[in-house]
Amino acid sequence: MTATSRRPPADDPRVTLDEELGVFEPIPPYPPRTEREAEFYSLGDGEMFINMGPQHPSTHGVLRVVMKLDGEKVVDLDPVLGYLHRGVEKLCENADYHQTISQVDPLEYVSSLFNEWAPVMAYEQLLDIEVPRRAEYIRVLSGELNRISSHALFMGWMALDLGGLTPILWSFIERDEIVEMLAALTGQRMLFNYFRIGGVNGDLNHDFMSRLGDWMTRATQQIESNLTLLNENEIFVRRMRGLGTIDSETALRMCWTGPNLRATGLPFDVRRAHPYSVYPELDFDIPTRAEGDCLARYLLRLDEIKQSLRIIDQCLDRMPDGPIMAKLPRLLRPRPGRAYAAVEGPRGQYAAYAISDGTDQPFRLRIHDPSFIHLQSVGLLVPGHLIADTIAVMASLDPIMGGVDK
Amino acid sequence: MTFVARTWNRLTIPGRVLLGLLLLGGLLTVGLALLIIFSEPILELLGANLPLVRFVAAATAVLLMTIPTAFLIIYMEMKIIALMNLRVGPDRVGPFGSLLSVVHGLKVLMKEDFTPTGADASVFTLAPVVTYLASVMTLLVIPFAPGLFGQDMNIALLYFFAISGLGVVGLLMGGWSSFNKYSLLGGLRSAAQVISYEVPLVLSVVGLLILAGTMSLNQLVLNQAGWFTDWYIWQQPLGFLIFFIAATAEANRTPFDLTEADSEIVAGFATEYSGMRFGFFFFAEYVNVFIVSALTVTLFFGGWNAPFPFPDIGLALDPGSLGIALLILVAVVPLVGILILALPFYLLRSSMPFWQALIIGFVLFNVVAVAAVLGWAFVSLEWVAGLLWFMLKTYSFVFIFVWMRGTLPRVRIDQLMGFAWKWLLPASLLNLFVTAAAVIVVRELRG
Repeated sequence: MTATSRRPPADDPRVTLDEELGVFEPIPPYPPRTEREAEFYSLGDGEMFINMGPQHPSTHGVLRVVMKLDGEKVVDLDPVLGYLHRGVEKLCENADYHQTISQVDPLEYVSSLFNEWAPVMAYEQLLDIEVPRRAEYIRVLSGELNRISSHALFMGWMALDLGGLTPILWSFIERDEIVEMLAALTGQRMLFNYFRIGGVNGDLNHDFMSRLGDWMTRATQQIESNLTLLNENEIFVRRMRGLGTIDSETALRMCWTGPNLRATGLPFDVRRAHPYSVYPELDFDIPTRAEGDCLARYLLRLDEIKQSLRIIDQCLDRMPDGPIMAKLPRLLRPRPGRAYAAVEGPRGQYAAYAISDGTDQPFRLRIHDPSFIHLQSVGLLVPGHLIADTIAVMASLDPIMGGVDK
Repeated sequence: MTFVARTWNRLTIPGRVLLGLLLLGGLLTVGLALLIIFSEPILELLGANLPLVRFVAAATAVLLMTIPTAFLIIYMEMKIIALMNLRVGPDRVGPFGSLLSVVHGLKVLMKEDFTPTGADASVFTLAPVVTYLASVMTLLVIPFAPGLFGQDMNIALLYFFAISGLGVVGLLMGGWSSFNKYSLLGGLRSAAQVISYEVPLVLSVVGLLILAGTMSLNQLVLNQAGWFTDWYIWQQPLGFLIFFIAATAEANRTPFDLTEADSEIVAGFATEYSGMRFGFFFFAEYVNVFIVSALTVTLFFGGWNAPFPFPDIGLALDPGSLGIALLILVAVVPLVGILILALPFYLLRSSMPFWQALIIGFVLFNVVAVAAVLGWAFVSLEWVAGLLWFMLKTYSFVFIFVWMRGTLPRVRIDQLMGFAWKWLLPASLLNLFVTAAAVIVVRELRG
């Protein structure tokens, strides 16, 4: 295939102005590659393109969204991905099984423990390892803490994208306390590299337990009091209610999972639907909301925080004694085969599909990331709304670009 | 030339400063001498055009006043929002970081003044000037204190609304000429917003004008003299509410700061601006906050009037009558005062050397002296007291604006327009009719 010139010819009337000024419109690829692209890049009467990102204050990293605008109204939009692509899956094929854990860590960088959990579970299936119960409880405990920190961050970002300056810093207090205690447990604040094949890296220590106990006494009240600034704010609620509404069937068809799907009324939670770890023993509800709009997605995460606190309570109550690592050979050579494992991350079903060819490196590690799945629905939710709503809808889906681009 | 350059290069930095000061002093002396020599014709010329001179002087003073005002409000905003966010905020430059906004000002002065390719250069340059001048010129009619105002016009309020409406032209110019779609959206948003909110803004004060019977801001303030119950806020609560909301939108402040919504359209009309041109936009925004607060205070909160009739103490100090005692007082009081203020620190803190205690005493004495002078001015000079009350009230409103910025999210553009036309406009009309009816009824009853 020959490389076609991306520059339009000089006699194209669309570009004479740009040629004169010495600037080139970067948006329309020329010639269009697909029919959809040709349709998208042909402007109607009074329409214009606007290029939001990859450097934009509120695209959650480096997402680029090409929007076709009619005044303030978004007619159509095209998310362009790949600005944060690091080839993690390929890197994993050239690392041994232990090393892949730190490779997948920075995918969804606000909830790293779940990034580790799914591949680790897949490897355990390949190796037929029984994980000690104490290790499973520690995994659930730290995972739920990480879920709370991720949801707290989401609420702050949501407010920041709607123009509120303060909630982001207030929710960072919560997040900071949690990441500090996880740092006491795992040694890192953000990219924990804590889960191991067959267990976890370190046992619960005094520093972690004292921080956790200190925080648990006031967590519920503190989180709720922080969020009254938003939840009872007329401007905030009015902007979110009825925005980006999706029904459960469409959401299922778009492969939604996690809080975004539960906000449409379907109580689908991997922790209950395909139970893993010790979740069957724990008592917690799956909160749902029927509206399926941005406000429902926002409030549902608040309910989830409460359920996570319940789970943490029970974990602390039932924490068994015992080893935290299974007995493993020094060199891991799983049998040739395939394994699939999914966990319920803060954004939805986070899954790993590992193929082993019998060597000490995975033949293939496929990461299924909920952010990517949810981001593809932006084109469904946004058209017809305003620019400001684009930001709100994207924020309410809570995509993390590290996970989208991998 | 080389001689001068070589000498200059050899000087140390204090030497250069000293030399510069000397040159400046020399120039000033020469200028002053020339002024004295040619004083008579100049004075004659000035005397013949007194209103013009007064206008130029007032405009200059107001223009100069905006700079420290903007610095102060920027600092207030940084610090107060930081405290609301549970951050420390600025704390490096100056005491409690109070000079940070000055440093910001210097920074924008030193940055590259960049004009993007494809921008309409002349309009691009003119836009910040238009915006800034519009906000400065509105300051001309605000009565700061008894006898302290730029111009006492009988149509001051009309003038105010007319000129403050010009500011949006600058924003529109900046948005259009930047050759950037974000800027364009910001400019169009600001045009739509300001024009929509101008209507309820003006209508909300018409009720007040019916009550007061004048458009001169000075006269409006005089009408509200006496107790705080005489302020117009009690007769026009709805008018005040509408005015305040509409004024927030006029000043492009949160929750109506759609023109520079950073999460949506990057920085709106100011996206392509850098350096001092951006600085002008930035300054104009904060000057607008001050102006809107000042007008709210003037219209509804009694302007420079004290909230209660202040007892007239009037210390008739005539320093001249003290004679030689004054000289001794000036010589002795600072020394004794510093010592008295320093001694407790020296005696109570054993770890403190005497010179440190002296420095603390010196600072404290200065504080006491300044406070004493200000106290004296407050009770004996009417305009100082008026200015103090005015600034107190105005900065309370500035605080409310900052508070809203720290607390509220931003509204959407359709909600913004809907709010103006569906709620504020009918409410201001209702306010107008009710006020007019009440005035007629009261007039009939009184006969």
